[in-house]
Amino acid sequence: MEASLVDYHVADAWDEIVDTDGSIRPAYREVVDSLRSMRGEDLRGRAEQLARTFTERGVTYAYGGVERPFPLDPVPRIIEAAEWAQLSAGVIQRVRALECFLNDAYTEGVVFNEGIIPRRLITSSPEFNRAAVGITPPNGVRIQVAGIDVIRDERGGLRVLEDNVRIPSGVSYVMENRRAMTRTLSGLFSGRSVLPVDLYPQRLLNALKQAAPVGVHDPVIAVLTPGVHNAAYFEHSLLARRMGIELVEGRDLVCHSNKLYMRTTSGEARVDVIYRRVDDGFLDPLHGNPSSLIGVAGLFNAARAGNVTIANAVGNGIADDKLMYTYVPDLIRFFLDEEPILDNVETHRLEDRDVLIEVAADIGNYVIKPVDGAGGAGIVIGPQADDETLAATREAIIAAPRRFIAQRVVAISTHPTLIEGNLAPRHIDLRPFCVNDGNSVWVLPGGLTRVALPEGALVVNSSQGGGSKDTWVIADHGPGDSAISTPTPWRAVPETVRQDGPSSLNRSDQQ
Amino acid sequence: MSTFFSGGWRLHIVHDTGFVYDGLAHGSYNEARLTPASLPTQAVLSTEVRAVPGAERWSYTDYWGTKVTTFQIDSPHESLRVTGESTVETSSARTPQGNLSCTALLDEAVVDRFYEYLAPTPRTLLPEEVRDAYAIPLLSDDPHASAAAVSERVRSLLTYAPGTTEVQTSAQEALDRGVGVCQDFSHLSIALLRSIGIPTRYVSGYLHPHEEAKVGETARGESHAWIEYYAGSWNALDPTSGAAVGARHVVVARGRDYADVTPLSGIYHGAPASGLGVTVAITRLR
Amino acid sequence: MREPSLLARMAESLFWIGRYVERADDTSRIIDSYLHRMLEDPTENEDVACRTLLAIMGVPTDRVDKVTTPDVLELLAYDAASSSSIIGSLSRARENAQGSRDVISTEMWECLNTTWFELPARRAQVSRTGPHAFLRSVRDRSSLFAGLTDATMNRSDAWRFVTLGRGIERIDMMTRLLAVRIASGVLAPDWGTLLRAAGAEEAFRQVYPGQESTELIAGFLMLDPYFPRSALFALTSVEGDLAALSDNAIRLGSRGDAQRIIGQARTTLEYSNPDELIHRLSEILELITTACADATEAITLRYFDKATWVQWESEAE
Repeated sequence: MEASLVDYHVADAWDEIVDTDGSIRPAYREVVDSLRSMRGEDLRGRAEQLARTFTERGVTYAYGGVERPFPLDPVPRIIEAAEWAQLSAGVIQRVRALECFLNDAYTEGVVFNEGIIPRRLITSSPEFNRAAVGITPPNGVRIQVAGIDVIRDERGGLRVLEDNVRIPSGVSYVMENRRAMTRTLSGLFSGRSVLPVDLYPQRLLNALKQAAPVGVHDPVIAVLTPGVHNAAYFEHSLLARRMGIELVEGRDLVCHSNKLYMRTTSGEARVDVIYRRVDDGFLDPLHGNPSSLIGVAGLFNAARAGNVTIANAVGNGIADDKLMYTYVPDLIRFFLDEEPILDNVETHRLEDRDVLIEVAADIGNYVIKPVDGAGGAGIVIGPQADDETLAATREAIIAAPRRFIAQRVVAISTHPTLIEGNLAPRHIDLRPFCVNDGNSVWVLPGGLTRVALPEGALVVNSSQGGGSKDTWVIADHGPGDSAISTPTPWRAVPETVRQDGPSSLNRSDQQ
Repeated sequence: MSTFFSGGWRLHIVHDTGFVYDGLAHGSYNEARLTPASLPTQAVLSTEVRAVPGAERWSYTDYWGTKVTTFQIDSPHESLRVTGESTVETSSARTPQGNLSCTALLDEAVVDRFYEYLAPTPRTLLPEEVRDAYAIPLLSDDPHASAAAVSERVRSLLTYAPGTTEVQTSAQEALDRGVGVCQDFSHLSIALLRSIGIPTRYVSGYLHPHEEAKVGETARGESHAWIEYYAGSWNALDPTSGAAVGARHVVVARGRDYADVTPLSGIYHGAPASGLGVTVAITRLR
Repeated sequence: MREPSLLARMAESLFWIGRYVERADDTSRIIDSYLHRMLEDPTENEDVACRTLLAIMGVPTDRVDKVTTPDVLELLAYDAASSSSIIGSLSRARENAQGSRDVISTEMWECLNTTWFELPARRAQVSRTGPHAFLRSVRDRSSLFAGLTDATMNRSDAWRFVTLGRGIERIDMMTRLLAVRIASGVLAPDWGTLLRAAGAEEAFRQVYPGQESTELIAGFLMLDPYFPRSALFALTSVEGDLAALSDNAIRLGSRGDAQRIIGQARTTLEYSNPDELIHRLSEILELITTACADATEAITLRYFDKATWVQWESEAE
């Protein structure tokens, strides 16, 4: 049997490889030719080899309590230079706007005072971290790492599905996918100038260095992980190794006199910057969950004193709240004076009573998402849900409209994917990763293409039984071309460290 | 010699609190909110927060504008004693300020600005029936009258009885028991006023117990709580005593409810702790 | 260039990786030699031999009925819940490596990870191929790990903690072997089995061709300065690791307690009269056993002590 697209039936969505007339899209012609020259069992054999490599290297994801390799599909996803240029410009624009918003929301609140967005968006958000008010990022950066999820709609247009500016994960799969593909399916790459993805750790390390407390020139940086049982532990460990810095757990750290230390065999050693992969609420038991075993008591006050930088910053969750998502185009216009390069998916705010009534009445035709859900949790796809689920969802949105948004059901694009030895269409999305070092926002060429492996499934997430694809950005002029990954300058807003001033956010309320 | 504010008092306050452990406590991290606020109606002449065992102290101003003193005790210790000592000048009670009607308070701009003082917290959440029974009938278009009426209603619903409730007690629980202390009177008033659309906040501080206090005489005071509601300006009400908020009241902290103003909070590891009890000595100096 | 600091928790993990891998290796040798002996000598009392083996490994046998070879294999080889068994040790080694992946080499990690993933399959094969292939594969993987440790890690403190753990476990195993030989009297394993269990048979015969006396064998296992599994050799290596560690980690008291404890034990052994050794064996073994336990405690106190979970209590007025 030939691993071909002969029997491939395009689903009711935009297909990334096969055009509506059945022809192969130009970007994919060479890869499809290579795949055609392989026998079906060869491809299956390579796919098994990919899985084995991942198991050996421990590239696993904890799913349902079992450690399993994150399935890598052998058919790569390809993005051409011109489209990538537009896409990366669009995500950079978003990150810049969200940085400006976070800086403003935790200080002056101009965006609220000017009536651009309601103040209530943050004051009603459980992610609004009041303890973070007064913690000033030394180089003005709160989003060292962002993952902006993008999908392609029925007409082929790219749209942003959600922003992730707390602790976006998945970049390790981008690096490991490429490593596995070049070793196992090197033939596919021949003659293609695919932009490399292994620059990421150095970029991140640089961004963390730039974020060091004022006056620290050679900072000690550590990755803070919840521990080996965390689903993304592999990633924490990989990043620490590739950056050549320490991987620490909460129990390795201690605060004295508003300074952070790690416990080493030769005593306590200062830590200047932590790249934390622990959620806000568990970071400091003094200011969050007091029973947290994975945090460090006193960390917030050490950061407040300017002695340690927490990256990403505490409290970023107000920016990737899905209700805030609906206002991001407004933020782009207000803070950057630009028009959004990438559109949102049409989204309805349920706090508007008329909208709520309309959505509740026709709930089977919407996608309902919790505003703070991560990993696809709690998403209800109207047309695919049973009556019982729909009834429960209707009740939930009426009881707490602030907690949900409603979106149009988008048939997100499909991509041929190896399923039981044959190529079949599966829905995919893309998470490009951005790194902000305070001078510019850089986007890792490609990103993580996630595949919803169950047939017809529209929720694409590793924690929902998903897989992934190696994602290629094809260089314009040959390998090593950097023209399209040139960083876009970002307006850093370094602030003088405020010692003990009143919180201006609340100033108007104090009179 | 007079005070800054006509009709105001000068008060010296010593607030003692702490914990004793059934063994040794280690690595204790604490935050104290024991510093009176500097306000247009209140001047702080001197203030200090001390801890025993001794520790390096830092301070910052929190989101609500309250000065927080932080300290860490590394060495094992059997008890922790924290003292806040301040001299403050207060001012006499003011006539109600602000001329927004209750209808005007429902304006989207007001709701958006004061959302935090309108949304229920776990401690101030009441079912609709309670609101309908106790708050709605008192609602007029004048927020001052409505607030005064609600405050009075709370005094009829709760009997002042020290030791009957804890710091975690919610407005609903206090209402069910029919008893409480200043904290419960305040939470219930806040819950009712917010339920009818009047932005209301929790105030913690001190109250001199005697209306005709003699200068130089030290009284056994108390940590006290009252409320402030918004009617275009903020106005204070003391739902526990019904007395006007004035020269005898010292403001320390404000927030949505008790959780935002906790006088002393911290974490440590080691043996279980029990409170040392709180004493507040308050002396009128002028 | 300063030596990179090593997290206390990592150091503890590395130490235990060294111990667990060595434990799996040694245990497989011991089980293998016992199985071999029982095959060679069918008159051997299986129950007694099995109980002896369990005693060496410190696994309690309060069972009244007969202990069989399958029981022993279950307890010492396959029981994942026991830190004395091979599978239990290798699982724990992998778990510790997971938490210290960024200080060990990728090859070391992959070695332990692959070993762990293959364990269920290898265990399943035992019913067809017998336990020998399983035990052999354990030794192969342990040796591979030891080789990778020495071939891919910087000679930093991190490496020293692995070799330190390996050395201490080796001493512990050797003293266990000999202690049972003394304690069990007539039921004791013969010296040939003991040599095999210690992985010393060939090395011994090269040094003492055609000879086999109690004195020579005990002397070789305890005092030989060139055989890497002798108690003296392992003590010397452990002492060296501790000395290098304290050079890099000078604190109060220039000599670590652990180094002093091991140094004293090494000296006692080194300067004891080989002719008297056999008569004082139990006394010397006890001294070494105590020294190992005390040294582990001192190492833990000095280097790992603080890496514990803290349960916070909250308090509010």
